Amino acid sequence: MTKKINFRFLPLVVFVLLLGFLLKGLFSDPSERDSALIGKSFPQFELPDLNSNNKMHTPETLLTEPVLVNVWGTWCLTCKYELPFLTKLANEYDVKIVGLYYDQNHAPEFGEYADIPTIRVEVKEMLARLGNPYQYNILDLDRSLSLDLGVTGAPESFLIDANGIVRMHHMGDVNERIWREKLAPVWNEISQ
Amino acid sequence: MNKFVITIGLLLLSNIAQATTEDQISFKSEQQKQLYLELTAELRCPKCQNQNIADSNAVVAKDMRVKTKQLLDEGQNKQQVIDYMINRYGQFAHYQPPFNVATSMLWLLPIGFILFAGFVQVKRSKSKQQVDEPTNLSDLDDELAQLLVSDSNNKIDTSASNNAKTEANVKDIK
Repeated sequence: MTKKINFRFLPLVVFVLLLGFLLKGLFSDPSERDSALIGKSFPQFELPDLNSNNKMHTPETLLTEPVLVNVWGTWCLTCKYELPFLTKLANEYDVKIVGLYYDQNHAPEFGEYADIPTIRVEVKEMLARLGNPYQYNILDLDRSLSLDLGVTGAPESFLIDANGIVRMHHMGDVNERIWREKLAPVWNEISQ
Repeated sequence: MNKFVITIGLLLLSNIAQATTEDQISFKSEQQKQLYLELTAELRCPKCQNQNIADSNAVVAKDMRVKTKQLLDEGQNKQQVIDYMINRYGQFAHYQPPFNVATSMLWLLPIGFILFAGFVQVKRSKSKQQVDEPTNLSDLDDELAQLLVSDSNNKIDTSASNNAKTEANVKDIK
């Protein structure tokens, strides 16, 4: 007789479980996922400075101290909104910020080439207007370093500790709330 | 009217021209082409919500297609290319999830469901059979005998009583 009662409530139990599962999905962010790079070394690269073809950057020059690497581009609308806050971080909290310039148009495989002088002018104009948080900018014209970093677009930010290990990968803009809740705890830990 | 036809014609032509620019990839062999098509269908665009990299026009999907071709040219096999992408974009970038604790439910839940349904079906048919078994009939015979004793003068429609009792039994078990 007791078995009979169990079976009777089974559809209800299944229904409640399904409801809970779907309700959870309703409030979860589908674009949020763990980066594959956390805990790994920053990838190898050798790329020129945005403002000078002759000045090259490598992990040895980039990773001397804890750093926030910010992937951005003048074409990216959200990047405009985070520039003032990043500038505040650099000036008031002494966060070392290096830009990784992500160009959308450069695709030699398809016969499309980016115009570097134009990019330089646009960058200069935008940083003068909205604030310049960057110590310098690395030009990732073919997006090879971005691919190695698992970058899906801009803006994205990485926190790298003094040993060159990637500790945080944030997709989307950095604002007051994101910094306080997500990035600052990690930054405080690695910059001590 | 003529202008209209020419405009439409030019628009159609420009469309064709655009479509061909990206499709001109030269492959070393038919086998490499097949591998490339398989990989771009199986690798998932990390920027888009649900598209493979063959389908997507996102910059990152284009870069991944170029990289896939480049790695194949270097002589890497299918698994090596997949691992290369997973190392950068995580398991998300591959449409075939691996079997581990977190994903085991995907396989076990349907199997469990089928087994459970089979179990319930077997149990049901067994309890139905029990109704027809002679033990139940002997119970009925006892009751019948009692009825005959208590009301021996009246004729009893035994078959009707039997049927009613059997139906009651079935309901009870259900």
